[in-house]
Amino acid sequence: MSDYVKYSSMAEGDAFLDPIPSFEVTKERVEKYIQSTKDETEQLQIKDDQGRQVAPPMLAAVYVIEALRTKVGPPGGIHAKQQFKFHRPAYIGETLFTSANVLKLYERKGRHYVEMTTETRNQDGELITSGMITRIWGKET
Amino acid sequence: MIELQSYEGYSVGDQLEELSQSVDQNMIDAYADASGDVNPLHIDPEFAKTTFFGRTIAHGLLTLAFVSRVLSQWNWQGWAYGGELNVSFLGPVYPGDTVRVSGEIDQIEKRDDGIYARCQLTCFCDDRKVVKGFVICKISH
Repeated sequence: MSDYVKYSSMAEGDAFLDPIPSFEVTKERVEKYIQSTKDETEQLQIKDDQGRQVAPPMLAAVYVIEALRTKVGPPGGIHAKQQFKFHRPAYIGETLFTSANVLKLYERKGRHYVEMTTETRNQDGELITSGMITRIWGKET
Repeated sequence: MIELQSYEGYSVGDQLEELSQSVDQNMIDAYADASGDVNPLHIDPEFAKTTFFGRTIAHGLLTLAFVSRVLSQWNWQGWAYGGELNVSFLGPVYPGDTVRVSGEIDQIEKRDDGIYARCQLTCFCDDRKVVKGFVICKISH
């Protein structure tokens, strides 16, 4: 039995992630992300008037992909398209929950494409990020 | 929705400040560590040799982190609180490439909840387009 999700095992409309994984927005994770992307945005270095420190909006790329990685495709898959809407940045200390649904499955030029919608909310149900991802599924052996 | 040619200092045709960022394998490895995305296509040269690309490539989402840096510098509030991104990955970024992020406002629109600017966006490595799409920022309530 393969340890990855086969293209043929998915159906449009499926909830892809069950259970929905959680992601802790820790200071260490955010700092590592900021350093690796060389982001010097001033607002990331200061706390807001309520003492909260925001994460870069594109940290969504980490928490969404990490959630999707709890069910992986074959090695070698690549990212074809990405949509994000940033409702608000995540704060350090929050716990995020990302759900994903299979929107569309199709084949083009011999490659399998998977489109999924994603939605990320914090521990209180506040919407943080929504999006859509298109992946070219890796070759199954 | 009402289309405008300009609004409070923002005009159709305005260019975003360009960003150039060199990418090497160390940066890709650091992003893999920060994001947890350790797909061997990005970090394992031997595995990458067996793929369509023939060598390692950067995570597409690392390139989007550069896009987010540009938008965060340009209009933090409008990007982090309601910003939208819709892009396609057209080609790989290899270690040794320099990514150039370029954008231009092509539409300003009045929606029910505020004024939004849409920017056409392209990321290049030399003359090669690697990401193309658009981003939307709220520029006024």
